[in-house]
Amino acid sequence: MSDDPMTTPRAMRGRAPDVFHPGGWVPMKEYPQREPVDFVVIGTGAGGGPLIARLAERGYAVIGFDAGPYFRPLEDFASDETSQSQLFWTDERLVDGANPLRLGSNNSGRAVGGSTVHYAMVSLRFRPEWFKSRTLLGYGADWPLDWQEMWRYYAQAERDLAIAGPVSYPWGPKRPRYPYRAHEINGAAEVLARGAEAMGYQWAETPLATVSAPRGESPPCVYRGFCRVGCSTNAKQSQLVTYIPRALAAGAEIRDLAMVGRIAVDAAGRACGVHYHRNGAWHFQAARNVIVAGYAIETPRLLLNSATDRFPEGLANGSGLVGRYLMTQSNQAVYGVMDEIVRWNKGPPSLTITEHWNYEDRKDFHGGYCWMAQGPLPVEWSAALSGSRRLWGAALREKMGDYNHQVGLKMVGEMLPHFDNRVSLADETDRYGLPIARVTYSWHDNDKAMIQHALGEMQRSLELVGARDIWRQENDTNHLAGTARMGSDGKSSVVDADCRSWDIPNLWICDGSVFPTTGGVNPSLTITAIALRTADRICELHRAGDLRF
Amino acid sequence: MANTASPDGAPRAALALLGSLTGVALVAALHSRSPAPATRPSMKAPAPDPAAANRAARRLNRAAGTLAASVLLDSAVEHYRGQFENRMMYTPLVTAAMALGVSAHGTMDQRQTSHMVRDTVYLLTALVGVIGTGFHLYNVRRKVGGISWQNLFYGAPVGAPMAIGLSGLLGYLSERVRETPPGQRPMIWGLPAGRAVGVASGLGMAGTVGEAGLLHFRGRFHDPFMYLPVAMPPVAALALGRSALGPTGEDRRATRWWLRATAILGLSGTVFHAIGVGRDMGGWRNWQQNILNGPPIPAPPAFTGLALAGLAALGLLEDHPDD
Amino acid sequence: MTDRDRYPGYDVLAKRHSLSWNDATRKAMDARLGVPREPRFLSQAEWATLVAICERIVPQPTSRPPVPLAGYIDQKLNDDARSGFRNAALPPQREAWKKGLAAFEAEARLRHDMSFHCLDGERQDELLRCAEAGRSDASAWDGMEASLFFSEHVMNDIIAAYYAHPTSWNEIGFGGPAGPRGYVRMRRNRRDPWEPVEAGSGDEARVRRENMRVR
Repeated sequence: MSDDPMTTPRAMRGRAPDVFHPGGWVPMKEYPQREPVDFVVIGTGAGGGPLIARLAERGYAVIGFDAGPYFRPLEDFASDETSQSQLFWTDERLVDGANPLRLGSNNSGRAVGGSTVHYAMVSLRFRPEWFKSRTLLGYGADWPLDWQEMWRYYAQAERDLAIAGPVSYPWGPKRPRYPYRAHEINGAAEVLARGAEAMGYQWAETPLATVSAPRGESPPCVYRGFCRVGCSTNAKQSQLVTYIPRALAAGAEIRDLAMVGRIAVDAAGRACGVHYHRNGAWHFQAARNVIVAGYAIETPRLLLNSATDRFPEGLANGSGLVGRYLMTQSNQAVYGVMDEIVRWNKGPPSLTITEHWNYEDRKDFHGGYCWMAQGPLPVEWSAALSGSRRLWGAALREKMGDYNHQVGLKMVGEMLPHFDNRVSLADETDRYGLPIARVTYSWHDNDKAMIQHALGEMQRSLELVGARDIWRQENDTNHLAGTARMGSDGKSSVVDADCRSWDIPNLWICDGSVFPTTGGVNPSLTITAIALRTADRICELHRAGDLRF
Repeated sequence: MANTASPDGAPRAALALLGSLTGVALVAALHSRSPAPATRPSMKAPAPDPAAANRAARRLNRAAGTLAASVLLDSAVEHYRGQFENRMMYTPLVTAAMALGVSAHGTMDQRQTSHMVRDTVYLLTALVGVIGTGFHLYNVRRKVGGISWQNLFYGAPVGAPMAIGLSGLLGYLSERVRETPPGQRPMIWGLPAGRAVGVASGLGMAGTVGEAGLLHFRGRFHDPFMYLPVAMPPVAALALGRSALGPTGEDRRATRWWLRATAILGLSGTVFHAIGVGRDMGGWRNWQQNILNGPPIPAPPAFTGLALAGLAALGLLEDHPDD
Repeated sequence: MTDRDRYPGYDVLAKRHSLSWNDATRKAMDARLGVPREPRFLSQAEWATLVAICERIVPQPTSRPPVPLAGYIDQKLNDDARSGFRNAALPPQREAWKKGLAAFEAEARLRHDMSFHCLDGERQDELLRCAEAGRSDASAWDGMEASLFFSEHVMNDIIAAYYAHPTSWNEIGFGGPAGPRGYVRMRRNRRDPWEPVEAGSGDEARVRRENMRVR
């Protein structure tokens, strides 16, 4: 175990790390670089992971590339916020606009398994109407997808990730029972429930991708509460311990610490492989299809960085929309102090949820939001407290002393897509010499109206359960989406319903960047469901002769 | 901040002591005086045999003791987890320990008369079971969400106190059987004792199946063996019910074998649960967490206790046919 | 401020050999506690300013060894460990910190004709508050936005360093590292034996004894 996964690739020489055993290995197939593989998938997170596994299971030759390290959680993960920033994308990105985003911890992973290695495991389905929000609800854009078909893929994703959720879910159309039972709720989650009941709203245990009973080599969750800096027990059903092992078993290859810098296009205008940096040098992998799954910043960055004489604006960018319509989700919160001792850091941070305002349309703004219980660890909490209340000095230490009595409610709200919110290339370059991303973001009136509405609701909820010293965190955002939206024509979108780019028939984009709208729930389950659908669609297209190999 | 203190020191030592005592008593109860088939009277015994009544009573003591042992350890673990928030939470420990004690005494007592202390303890124990059920229901109801899966899974287990209640009931029945005057058939509440005990054990078993089913549902039946305690005991309970309510003289061999299998299932459940604890994160090294959060090791022998009671009922039915 | 000890006797480091820590945690914490107390990236003059700023952002009681906050900032700069995003109006963090420290020093000299670290606490606070509110003397800041530097670096970096340190966890009663052993008792007013007890009024001695047993 002397190897350092941060500096030396582990998936080499016919073997990959066995994530379930310290120092362990599993066999891994390797493909020659010169010979084109069927699929190169760039990114191994919520979108890339399922694709690699499903395509390999269908018999295709697949290589998954990830810029990040290949961890064995049992031996590599400390219970420590600061050192576990090793899971985040910490290479520089520039942020600007009226409301510059904060990146890193809550939306940008850099590891095999992507952000799912450090996500909060919240696994929610879209409200069906959101797939046609322009037509049915009057805002945003319609998806070229049918919700009933998505419902099936959601169910598949929930089974694959062994989601632990309530026996019956109170909102939306009927869904199958979650594969695992909901976890016991903690004191902070109970505060949400009591507040919701006082307001007459329904609440539920949040469906989470961490098991409440053993599953294979994953033991049940021990409620250590460090979920968002990596699960060191493997209870969390991240891509790293679910789809990636499946992919390896089915004959896929994973290349860790492999930064793809450029997608190559041949004379016919088709993607023919990728240039990637690994072990200190640039290499080329030939491929018949390239699937980009790098999430809403790295995906457009790679497409833009791959510009050629033939595609001077970047690949798949005939519409000019690559990098456009970036969305984040509003993540404002209201916090308060209880007389009782709560110790909100115990257990997964978001054990209860109310989706009331996702399904209630009597409101004077577009889009929906939910809110969930909170349990930040000290560093994150001190940043929220000091940043929002402008506290430092003795006053900050005094307030931090209430840590074990603190409770909070945090929204995940739907921000609307805007052309000017975007990812573009900056002049600065990174350690590979590649131009870095510039992320420009400004809130619009509808976003602000929703935030104010949510803050008012959450504050009322905390007041009703007797919290004191209540204050609002006005400035936080989290998940990303957009920048390569899907649609029904090549003028107004980058990819079609199958995540296939309109411009280059063997270039696919399959991650959160294809979202035309972002919904009022955490996006990871929807990304995974879309990836599962895309894998099926690729097989169907292949059978129908619509795919050239 | 008294309510945030965890039991430590003295309570912990007491728990350890109670635990070892229970283990010894359990082993002793199981090894003492297993029924000798050779002495069993033929199916149509002409006159009731007082020794047979005593034997049946002692079997019931053993059954009550097994249940009490299971409850003692299980409530000790669960109420320790609940930090003995309410002083009433010591009650099942005390009563189960007393029931265990008098059961051990009764199992070894060859006399034909009931014993006032045993009788009182058993009655008290049965009462505690009823009151405890009330407390647990109250606990579930006052939690946010009320009667919901969340609270049924993680609140005070509604069915658990009835196990100690059943232990008391079986002991009480045992005393009634024991005081049968020579030459008479044991009767309870005007019913032939075998039938009364059979029905009581069968119903108890059904309730325990409900409890195991609920918790194994919570555990997602992740291991196929988890279906056994919801598959086997219902058959045993049904067979027992049929034997208890059916005509005299029918063949009860199948019932007997189902009950024996259920008794063994209860004991092997303990082993399965111990293995389960070892498989949780940190394994047995992390016992401080996994004993409490893993599968409850002392719970499954409740099935053994009820199966033993069922076997005692079968013995009564055969020793004292009522037509 | 009242430096009331809310969790008397609690030392999260006592759990080091318990199941709450794994090897990776021990390694990370050893590195944390072994931070160099001398600058490697910053100059001695910059270091002196930084130490003074840290003492104002997170003042520490004299009753225990202080958390060497400046050491963590210098370490972060020395390793160039970044957060993954940078406000486009700010230079990269190394440059930002060098500029910012020079600016505080320049302002102290400008206004009080003294080095920043020689000013009394009140005057230091005043300069910090000016930067926070963007009321600093622009000439000292060489084109960098003072309020942005203050929120993105002075506040963020120093406060994060403090609350990443076990000493602060003792102070706020945080259970600290947890894994493989997590937690059992999830509800309000519940405590696992490996969590600290909060002192009420008058029961400090008893609570101290209990907290000494927390492992």
